[in-house]
Formats: sequence, C-alpha cells, structure tokens
Amino acid sequence: MQLSENFNLLDLTDENKTTTTLDWVKAFVLLGLAAYFAYNILTGNLTNYINTRFVWLSYLAVVIFGILGGASIYALIRHDPMVRDSSHTTVSWSMLGLVALPLVLGTLIPSQPLGASAVDGNIDTRVATVNGASAITKDPLTRNVLDWLRVFNQTDSPASFDGQSADLIGFVYREPDFAPDQFMIARFTVACCVADASAIGLPVTWAGAGDIADGEWVQVRGAFQAADFRDTIMPILIANTVDIVEQPEHPYVYP
Amino acid sequence: MQNTTQIESDIQIGADRQARQTLVRLILALGGILILIVLALAILSTGDDPLATLSIFSTRFLGIFIEAAPFLLLGTLVSGLLEVFVSKEDIVRWVPRNPFLATITGIGMGFAFPVCECGVVPVTRRLFTKGLPMSAGVAFLLAAPVMNPIVLVSTYIAFGQIAPQIVIGRFVITAIVAGAVGLIFAYSARPQEVLRPVSLVPVRGGSPEAKSLVPQQPAFIPSLYRALRIGGDEFFDMGRFLVIGSLLAAAMQTLQFNLNGETRSIQDLLFTLGQGPVVSVIVMQVLAFVLSVCSTVDSFLGLAFYGTFTGGSILAFLTFGPMIDIKSTLMFAGVFKKKALIYLIVLPFLMTLLIGVWVNLNLSF
Repeated sequence: MQLSENFNLLDLTDENKTTTTLDWVKAFVLLGLAAYFAYNILTGNLTNYINTRFVWLSYLAVVIFGILGGASIYALIRHDPMVRDSSHTTVSWSMLGLVALPLVLGTLIPSQPLGASAVDGNIDTRVATVNGASAITKDPLTRNVLDWLRVFNQTDSPASFDGQSADLIGFVYREPDFAPDQFMIARFTVACCVADASAIGLPVTWAGAGDIADGEWVQVRGAFQAADFRDTIMPILIANTVDIVEQPEHPYVYP
Repeated sequence: MQNTTQIESDIQIGADRQARQTLVRLILALGGILILIVLALAILSTGDDPLATLSIFSTRFLGIFIEAAPFLLLGTLVSGLLEVFVSKEDIVRWVPRNPFLATITGIGMGFAFPVCECGVVPVTRRLFTKGLPMSAGVAFLLAAPVMNPIVLVSTYIAFGQIAPQIVIGRFVITAIVAGAVGLIFAYSARPQEVLRPVSLVPVRGGSPEAKSLVPQQPAFIPSLYRALRIGGDEFFDMGRFLVIGSLLAAAMQTLQFNLNGETRSIQDLLFTLGQGPVVSVIVMQVLAFVLSVCSTVDSFLGLAFYGTFTGGSILAFLTFGPMIDIKSTLMFAGVFKKKALIYLIVLPFLMTLLIGVWVNLNLSF
C-alpha cells in the first residue's frame, strides 16, 4: 500500500506540507459549497436554477456539505492521520479545482434566470395536454401563460376564446419577422432544473410594443381574439395595458 | 509482512495508477479545450453579447450541478458508510454464489442502496473491494440508478398519469438489460480481467495478511466519523466528473450555429433528426449520453420529449441514459479495464436500441 502511494507524483514533493495545505483547501471547498447552497436558498436565487419542488434537496446539500466540511476541519485541528483505505484515490489539486468551479462561477457571475436571450428561436405556442384539467378549473384571470396554452390545447376552435380576459406576467420576446405592434409574452417552463427548461409564449398585439425592449418583464392585461400568427390561426392577446414590472420571485413556471 | 509478489503487484498498481492519472489528465485537458472552443464558437457564430452567453452557460451549468449535487452527496455518504459498517463477510453472506441468483440480487440491490448514477460507481467500487461477485456487481452498476425508490417516485410523478406504460417499461427494460450484461460478464470474464487493480486490492490473493487490512469494527461514533471523512474525499473524486459532465451538457445546450440563416443549438438539430422508429431511438440515446442528467430527474426531461419523440425512444432515453452517459463513462474508466469498459458501454447501447425499436414497431405507446 505504501509503495503504491509513492507512485502518485504529487506525493513525491514534500508530502506532508502539500497534504496539509490541500486538506485545508478541501475542507474550505466543502464548507464553501455549504455556504453557496445556503446563500442561494436565502436570496431566493435557487429558483433561477431549479423547480421549487426540489428546494428541499438543497437544504439537504447544506446539511451534508456542512457535516463533511466540519469533519474535515475537526480532523485537521486534531491532527488525525489521513484516511487511507483500499480503493481510495487521493484527492488532488485538479479534483479540488474542478469541484470548486461551481463555487467560482456562482460567485463571479451574477445569478440570472434564463430570459429572452436564451430562447434562440425555439419557443412553443403549443404544449402537451398534461394536467390540462387543473388549468381549466382555474379562474381565467389567475391563469399564467402555461395554463392558457394548456386550455387552448383542449379545443380545436381558437375562436372560442374570443373576448376572454387575461392578466399575464412574462418577459418580452421577439423574432425578426414580427410585426412592429407584436411581441410574445414568454416564460420558461422548468420541470426539474434548467436542463429541461423550454420557452413558451403567447402572441400579444399592442400599439406601443415598439417602446418595450426585449427581455423586459411585463404585465399584460387584455382579451383574446383569434387571428393569424405565423400561418396559424390562434388566440392572440389584444392588450389594453402593458406595464413594466419587476422580475417575479419565481421566474419560471412549473408544469 | 509483504512478500515479493505483494511488492510486485504494488508496483503494478502504481504503474496502473500513473497510467490512469495520465488518462484522466488527458481527458480533463481535452474537455477544457473542447469547452473553450465550444464557447468561442457560440459567441462568434451568433454575434450575441458574450457576457449574456456566459451568463446563460453559467445558469445552465449551475442548474445541473445544484440539482445533482445532493444526490452525489447521498451516494458518497452511502459509500462511506458501506466502507465502514458493511464487512466483506456480510456481502458474502447476503449475495448468492450462483451467478444467475447473484445477478437477480444485483438488479434488486438498488432498493437497499438507493443511489443514482452519480453515486452508484463509488458504491459498486466499494462493494467489489468487499468481494461482491462480478455478475451481481455489473447488474447492480447498471440497474441501481433506475432500480431504487427515489427514481420510482420521480418516474411515477412524471409519467404515472399520462403514460403508466413508460413507468413499467423503464423498470422492466432496465432489469432485462442489466441482468443480461451481468450474466455475460459472469460467464465470460474473471474479475482480474475486468477490474482495475485499484478496485481489487483487498480481494486479490485472499491471503491471511489481507484480512489485517480490514479494520476491526470500532465503536459507532468513530466509525461514523471515519465514514464522513471517506465520504468527503469521495465527493471530490466523483464530483469532478459531475462538473465536467455538467460543463459539457451546458455547452451543448448553449452552443449555437447558423443553419440556413436560422440559429439552432445542437440539441435542436437532434430533435429535427429524431423521427422514424430507429433513428429516433439512436437520437434519444445520444441525447441521454450527452446531457448526462441524473437518473432521479431525467424522467421529467423525458416527459418534455414525450409526444414529440416515439415511445420506444423515450424508453431508451430513460433506460440507457442512467446506465451510460458522459459522467458515468468517465467514472467507469476509473474502475474497469479498457476492454471491459467498451463492452460495458456497447452492450447496453445495443440492447436498449433493439428493445426501443421493437417497442416502436410492435407496441403503440
């Protein structure tokens, strides 16, 4: 066992000193990750990354990272010998660097949810009829973009929604071929985490559309009117008012 | 204490370890270069604000990491606890020696050790060093990411109402493929030919000296403390592959290029190609491999593709992905020798492909 360790190149250079520094860094990366998860929970940034349904996992991560980091610190303070067991790979600097990367990116790059610039032409105006029933039973004025798309999907007649009022929050998304008075009110749906995020949107017609920048969060109040949108007849939201609002606490909608 | 043979094999382990480290460094360097190229292309090809692209990339990367890290932690904790509290003798007692029965035990063992694919490799490696039979180990390795309570719940939540056949199909196909591959390994290879020496140490030789390497069972609290320290180290060992996998997956989703004047990501291109009973299955297998999304959550991703893609391809996505993806391939490379590694990837690929195509042609999902 001893002999095999000597083949580890890192261990050849002043073994004890390297090991101790590395162990301190290791302990602080673990505690740092615990702090990063806790920070995300406290600031609410967590909802930029995952569905709120899975927030309890991050609580679990804080606890386990904390315990693992605490055990490492305790071992260092007590000068306990390193754990050496049969199949164990010694922690190296490259491992530390890679595992610390989420910490670095999470600290250096301001946390932002996926928005208009992440859509890239890939936006759905139809969604699969999952949980469609619950969307129908909702009060129409509390339906979000996803609820409306689900309700639309239940029928073949877009005109049946003519005159129905809606009150929606989303970000503004445009493509080059949109008319000057048109934009889409869009949201990302996140079933689990942003890995499965997909953009959905409803076409909006409003005379003042040109004054609103892409990616701006807006609250649109208006009524639907079936019309042609990119070669398909679908309900289009004719806006009465469009107000610029703060980004909501939960930027994604959860299917 | 050490005789000549022992020292020779230690030298062999050293050489293997060095070779493995070189391989890992090579993969890390290539991965790093690839990610840089991919990011540079993404920024150049669309003319978007580079900072916006970086922000999207960071969000996607952290999203996968934040979702997966708790499961990786649970996996490494289980691994540490197994090392300390489960003795080799226990495993020998639990698992039948008959390869067929051992395989069946391996398939079901995930319900006793609930781990996803991030956590299954350290646990399997640990169990191999404890003397787990080859067939049970391979079956466990492939089946455990699906055959466990957490995945059962998440898959049921996703598909239970709209397509219960997907839930049943996922578990049946996983059991069949994992069992078949486990048996193939049991009857055609010896552990020494399959496993890297690092995973064999205490088993090798079986000399009386080897027993002295296994610590006597100390009191509960010191054992727990030891398990925690092992778990902490294991998190770094396995965590780096999660980070590389998440980086690549995020890059694939963020990378864009111009196709006939339209901006498309690589993932979108896969969707457009993904029609037909055979091609759709292969496309979803590739997607599962590249995305490397944790098996505890990939059913929600599968749900997003359900309706666009064929039923057989969704099943292939939900069965092949948990067995083999970028992350697990890199982790397998630390446990298995090259030839065994290739079989371990190719066999599940071909089997899930065949079953997926068969489902597309014979069942209306």
